[in-house]
Amino acid sequence: MFDIALLWDVRGLILQGLWNTLWICFFGCLLAVSLGLVLAALRLANPRLFGYPVACYVEICRGIPLLILLFLLYYGGPSIGLRLDAEIAGVTGIGLYGAGYFAEIYRGGFKSIPKGQLEAARMLGISPWHALIRIQIPQMARLIVPPGTNQLIILVKESALISIISVDDLTKNATTIVNQTFQVIEPYLAVALLYWLMIELVARGGYALEKRLANRQPRHVAQKDNSHANG
Amino acid sequence: MPTADTLSPPTPTRQKAIVEAHGISKQFGDLEVLTNIDFSLAPSEVVCVIGPSGSGKSTLLRCLAFLEPYDHGSVYIDGQLLGFEDRNGKRVRTSEKRVDEVRAPVGMVFQHFHLWPHRTALENVTEALRLVNGLSRQDAEVEGMAMLEQVGLADRAGHFPESLSGGQKQRVAIARALAMKPRVMFFDEPTSALDPELVGEVLDVMKKLAADGMTMVIVTHEMGFAAKVADRVIFMDQGRVVESGPPATLFRQPKSERLQQFLNTWRERHID
Repeated sequence: MFDIALLWDVRGLILQGLWNTLWICFFGCLLAVSLGLVLAALRLANPRLFGYPVACYVEICRGIPLLILLFLLYYGGPSIGLRLDAEIAGVTGIGLYGAGYFAEIYRGGFKSIPKGQLEAARMLGISPWHALIRIQIPQMARLIVPPGTNQLIILVKESALISIISVDDLTKNATTIVNQTFQVIEPYLAVALLYWLMIELVARGGYALEKRLANRQPRHVAQKDNSHANG
Repeated sequence: MPTADTLSPPTPTRQKAIVEAHGISKQFGDLEVLTNIDFSLAPSEVVCVIGPSGSGKSTLLRCLAFLEPYDHGSVYIDGQLLGFEDRNGKRVRTSEKRVDEVRAPVGMVFQHFHLWPHRTALENVTEALRLVNGLSRQDAEVEGMAMLEQVGLADRAGHFPESLSGGQKQRVAIARALAMKPRVMFFDEPTSALDPELVGEVLDVMKKLAADGMTMVIVTHEMGFAAKVADRVIFMDQGRVVESGPPATLFRQPKSERLQQFLNTWRERHID
């Protein structure tokens, strides 16, 4: 029998785990999204200087498991003077790992914008920075939202690995409950449901953003056309 | 790779010419696309550059704008060397910011328009006014509307490029360049990507600009337009200037065999 009362009794641990997973994922993903953009922009701005180092970084991220990266940061860090709390190691690990994937997603986005649009900007005296934020990012946003959402979902799911470096996240707290109560199904099903809800939120957020970006242009035209017609 | 060419001292003619090039060459890999080109453009002069495909016309224009860095020689805009500077007797590349400063008097229009598709026609025109000239949105829009008016597209201000015809897109691109008040306009095959019936509306805008005294360099296949509007026509082939002169002379009494051949081919195609 599914013992729902048990879950009510351990709600404190589950909520604590949920909170830790939420904030660690939030900051880890934020780091991944931002650092990925910086890496991709550096590679684009000066391929000769940054092309190879960024490509190496991407390959390393794709080549090693997140768990190994977390072990290196948390257990290996102190031997090189880097002492991180388990939570901070979790955020850093998820961020550094995700940045490699996001750098590639952004690179695809940048490549989709015809070079001529940037030449036109340069001929008007628009700086590369302004071209990046006003011309490139708004156009590539539409293209990178679906793969970006997918990557965020993967990062949220893989965040369960931080439980192995002793972060009291959803997965670790569920295991603690199992060890205390000897009930396996209820705690793991409950956290599975919570992960699923989190991921559903990310996915729906992604769809909403995608829809908004795709609809912006025609809606804008339609409004202006209507205002002409009405005027 | 740019070489350490010594910089030629300013000459009196450089004061007069808005754009001047001395012995510029450009290679793509092993292929030499420009060989030792000299070029000079006086204020209010309209120069058309003609020639077969692959003759180096567009590359010349792109080198004059430093969209392609030239390998040898020098390009001066308003007497200032473009793209390079002398550092301890060696020629080195300047910063992109310095390139922008020297190139500021030049506006450019491209074959494929290169409008920003996520911005309306008006926003395409006002973008640089706001970002580069620091105008407020309101002031930029007033200025932008005046520019669109000038190319006959004020009623399309709120439209995105995808809902404009090719000719309209190119006119927006011209308005976008004109908004920055250039003293020289470079046109790189501005009508080559257009349906034949849309060519006229773009050429009309360019004719008007020429009549208003705008200094222009136009890379074109429109011989009729070149004959009517240009003060000087340059014929290029295989990366070299083969012949240049007033259109009346160049089109009616071509000296070189290559130009005769080129004009004959063109006449065969365009006159029944």
